[in-house]
Amino acid sequence: MNLSGLTGLLIDDNNDMRAALRAQLSAAGLERCDTARNVKEAVDRVSRQRYDLIVCDYNLGQGADGQQFLELVRRKQLLPLSCAFLMVTGENGYEQVATSAEYAPDDYLLKPFTADTLATRLTRILDKKAALQPIYRWLGKKPDHTKAIAACDELLAAGGRYSLDALRLKGELLLAAHRAEEARALYASVLAQRATPWASVGEARALIALGEEAAARERLERAIEAYPNYLAAYDALAQILLKADKAAAQAVMEQALKVAPSTQRTREVGTLAFEMGDYARAEAAYQRVVDKDRTGFFKSHDDYALLAKSRLEQGKTAEALAAVKDMGAAFARSPELEARQAALECQAHAKAGNGAAAQAALERALVIQAASSLDPHAALEVAQACFAGGKPEDAKEIIRHVAENHHEDDAMLARAQAVFARAGLHDEGTLFLEATKKRMIKLNNDAVALAKSGQLDEAIAMLTEAADRLTNNAQIALNAALALLMHVQRAGGDEMALARARGYIAQAKAANPEHPRLIELTNLYRKLAPPDAPPLEEA
Amino acid sequence: MDALVAAVIHDAKNALMALDARLAEAESRPVSTDFATLRGSLARIAQELAELLTLYRAQQGALRLAIDDHDLLDFLDELALELGPPPEGIALKLDRAAAQRIGAWAFDAHLVRLALADALRNALRHAKTRVTLSLDQPAGGGIRFIVQDDGPGFPAPLLAGEEQVASAGGTGLGLLFARLIAAHHATPDGRHGRLELANDGGAVFSLYLP
Repeated sequence: MNLSGLTGLLIDDNNDMRAALRAQLSAAGLERCDTARNVKEAVDRVSRQRYDLIVCDYNLGQGADGQQFLELVRRKQLLPLSCAFLMVTGENGYEQVATSAEYAPDDYLLKPFTADTLATRLTRILDKKAALQPIYRWLGKKPDHTKAIAACDELLAAGGRYSLDALRLKGELLLAAHRAEEARALYASVLAQRATPWASVGEARALIALGEEAAARERLERAIEAYPNYLAAYDALAQILLKADKAAAQAVMEQALKVAPSTQRTREVGTLAFEMGDYARAEAAYQRVVDKDRTGFFKSHDDYALLAKSRLEQGKTAEALAAVKDMGAAFARSPELEARQAALECQAHAKAGNGAAAQAALERALVIQAASSLDPHAALEVAQACFAGGKPEDAKEIIRHVAENHHEDDAMLARAQAVFARAGLHDEGTLFLEATKKRMIKLNNDAVALAKSGQLDEAIAMLTEAADRLTNNAQIALNAALALLMHVQRAGGDEMALARARGYIAQAKAANPEHPRLIELTNLYRKLAPPDAPPLEEA
Repeated sequence: MDALVAAVIHDAKNALMALDARLAEAESRPVSTDFATLRGSLARIAQELAELLTLYRAQQGALRLAIDDHDLLDFLDELALELGPPPEGIALKLDRAAAQRIGAWAFDAHLVRLALADALRNALRHAKTRVTLSLDQPAGGGIRFIVQDDGPGFPAPLLAGEEQVASAGGTGLGLLFARLIAAHHATPDGRHGRLELANDGGAVFSLYLP
């Protein structure tokens, strides 16, 4: 049992505990170990360096906890699967850690423990990670489920002490790959041997995927009874109920929130309450979100916006304006922040019948909107204010721009639709957004058809014009790059065209680094560019 | 008991851990102190506080087990590590072969480890020559941990089901705790865990998990 030669990060806000843990890690042979006192320092560390192992205390002070940190770095993919993450906790945090559904630590350890126990646990995690590496290698930023499942099968065929882990991973992968029938068979075979929560919930999830929701629901209710801490059971049950009975879904989500009062869960409860028109409940949820996190690290502009809006819907204008003010104090100044504040103020004043104040706030919002290229969320808030302040044409112009830039992003289009719906224009919004989406698809198709029929210059003109206007639309930028590269392919080395193509690939990457066609275009560029051309950064 | 008690317990546990680290540090230097005894009592305080906190939570209706799969061999090894070497003249045998044969089981490892560590410490105090921890799969499903010693056995009133929370030697808290957490283990088809005490050439403590 020796951790020498590895690099570690220790995260704890308590000086004494940090010193004690550092001494224990050092006794286990870990000499290269950085420390962080809070979430900010920890995020800085993992952004800059790869660690073999992280030991993190659950309680990080100022309303922040290790679970939030883990979720953040996993979501941002700052933590490779090969890094061992051990959470250290007292009795108070242990339930939260032991129950976390989606972003669970590799293991957790309850205080107090000895240096031997700490070293044993870390060694065991690292051992397991090494054994599962043949599966993990297919689960990076671009997961390949089929290959990962094949790797699971190889490990299972070889037997060995991590077979159960491989089996559990295989179940998850089968579900992710929409192979529900195989997933169901896998879980049923485990349950025939013994009762265990992951197989119970896995089987129910397979049943949901197979359309057998009544059976899934019945199993999940019994699973929650037996394993009241197993959050994945609540999540799966809420997923079923959301379609048919939002109130029942809400009850299940509130129940899960009692088990694990995480910020993300509180936020989900608030969002659902808001959608259902239960504004008092939405307000309470968002109040908790903004109050809990005193570091400001885990909350967003959206949290304050929804807090303000749920107050507004209850006629509490002054309180809504107070939330807008608090929002300003919680974040660093930026055009996004100021545009959102002005847009929300406009909506508050308009709702209270204070026309002059609403117009003044709207003017401020529009000035910022015109001067900066706002992120789509802030832009849609300004659009909402335009509807509230009697400028529906400005609202539609803003929404058009957002929708054209994000015509492949269903979540963003739904958000745009919600702006119409709140302005009482649900049907108009549906038509408007459908038309926008179709227009963008047609533009792409027409240009590709032109290119194929030999009218490459026309295609290039059409696509580059659109790409220069819609800088956040990855697909258009990629098609513009494609047309330019086709021109290079046909006419030979054209430095200007190559440089422009390179620019559009970079633009697409900035807009959506996950775009499925990014690699294809990057490869085509590399093939065509002369060796002395400026290189593309790694895609 | 109120929330303050829980908070004090929590603080005390942190203090214990810091002290434990200091001891480990001092241990690496050549000083003649009976560290084994020191750490033994520390472990016992920590154990009792953790059990007390769990009972408190159950009383508040806030005890929810964290059930997940655990490799039984790892589990036994860690238990042995936590207990340290047995007192002189007493042999402690863990049935590692059975653990390996059964493989993994779903249970709350933290709480079950506490219950078994307590039962084992208790058995080691009363045993004449040996203590065993064995493991099997009884008919009807589930697994059974059996702690057995060759001491005088459980007192008759205890076998009759009487709780002795304040009894000499402090066994009452441990048994109350073991019974509570066994009963809290359940399966979706409605089976529950339980505790059985018997005398058979010494005390036999059987913890059933569904």
